[in-house]
Amino acid sequence: MLKVSKLNFGYKFRPIIKGLDFHLDEGQLLHISGPNGCGKTTLMSILAGLIQESSGSIEYKHQGNVSKDRREHIEYLPAEANGLYGKMDAMENLRFWVSLRGLSYSDEQIIEELKLWSLDHPLIRKNFAIEKYSTGMKRRLSLARVNLSNAPVWLLDEPLYGLDVKGIQQFQNILKQHLEGGGAAIVVSHDVAPLEIFDPIVLELKKQGGQ
Amino acid sequence: MNRFLSQMRALLGQSLKVEWATPERWLSPLLFAITVLVLFSFAVGMVEGPDAAKLIVAETFLTAFFALQISFSRSLDPDMQDRVFDVLRTYPISPSAWFLSKYLLVFCMGALILIPTMVLSSFFYGKSGVSMLSIPLVAIALTALAGMSALGVLLSTMTMRSGSKQILYPLLYFPLTTPVLLSAVESSKAVLANGDSLETLMSSWLGLLVIFGIIYFTLGLLLFGELVKAE
Repeated sequence: MLKVSKLNFGYKFRPIIKGLDFHLDEGQLLHISGPNGCGKTTLMSILAGLIQESSGSIEYKHQGNVSKDRREHIEYLPAEANGLYGKMDAMENLRFWVSLRGLSYSDEQIIEELKLWSLDHPLIRKNFAIEKYSTGMKRRLSLARVNLSNAPVWLLDEPLYGLDVKGIQQFQNILKQHLEGGGAAIVVSHDVAPLEIFDPIVLELKKQGGQ
Repeated sequence: MNRFLSQMRALLGQSLKVEWATPERWLSPLLFAITVLVLFSFAVGMVEGPDAAKLIVAETFLTAFFALQISFSRSLDPDMQDRVFDVLRTYPISPSAWFLSKYLLVFCMGALILIPTMVLSSFFYGKSGVSMLSIPLVAIALTALAGMSALGVLLSTMTMRSGSKQILYPLLYFPLTTPVLLSAVESSKAVLANGDSLETLMSSWLGLLVIFGIIYFTLGLLLFGELVKAE
């Protein structure tokens, strides 16, 4: 599904990622771990297409063919940010992001999604700017965006940031559904326990590149 | 084509909603324009004769120029919050749809500043018998805005990515908008003072204004994709 070969990236005299290889198939979860500054977020940014790799290749295969634009198949959740418009309400935010992917959901479908994340109360889903949400609520809303995207590969950088116990369970349920449905996910998280139930492939990054 | 249009509609719609939700973003340049015009009006006082036409044109465009600079430089600010801009870059969005949506937004917000500036300056010069409120003059001003909007989006994106926005933006914006402003001022002066028609001016200053508008728009359309792709 996703194949990364001989990936290299660095800043001038400081190599960050050196000769990285891995592949991810349908239904698999890849957990990227490692100490601070080892390049986990950089790797996610490269996979998401935000940073250009120095060398190597990243291929996404769709129906047996290498996709020209992997952004069609990848949904990215950055670390410490949610990619949401603070002045807009939850419904408007979700409607905006799904429309960019050419998807159309009814209000009922979006509310159903919000229900999965306990954000469906009429007083918080509409006419309530999400800048007033708590950190955990914003994270849940951004995970709702990821789930609505229909993208087969999820890139989740610290998805559990700010989530309470219930939020973590909701995340596990959604991720389970996604993997069982033939999707794949790459997760960066320092919180290992919630991911163990998925028996993930672990990619341990070390400082100054290498696997 | 459907996807292109739906993406453009979504991006423009969302940007307009954000602008509507944050009126201070367009109110502050507008208030700035009003303040400058009031100051000019007090400082210059009553002017009559051919100088009135020159003064009204200079005041209006100078005021609009600075007010628009404030507005343009902030055009991508809402997208910078919560890394919306980065997430947008990871989406399969057509760069042209993205540029056009931002261009239309900046043009609309610019018109929201430019038109009241013209109304107000005409009000102050009412007794002098000159006014910026005529179809040829509004057409010239909107043509200038069309060129400057393309430049505004392009520079705003470019300087935002460079990380030195505060210094780089005015350094690039002022010299690059000078030909557009000069053409707009000369065209407007010719209409007001000499009564020239737009058809006549197309072979001189107005033609230059249109050409610069086309150049900036084409540059924006071509370069925007480069500015939002992977670093």
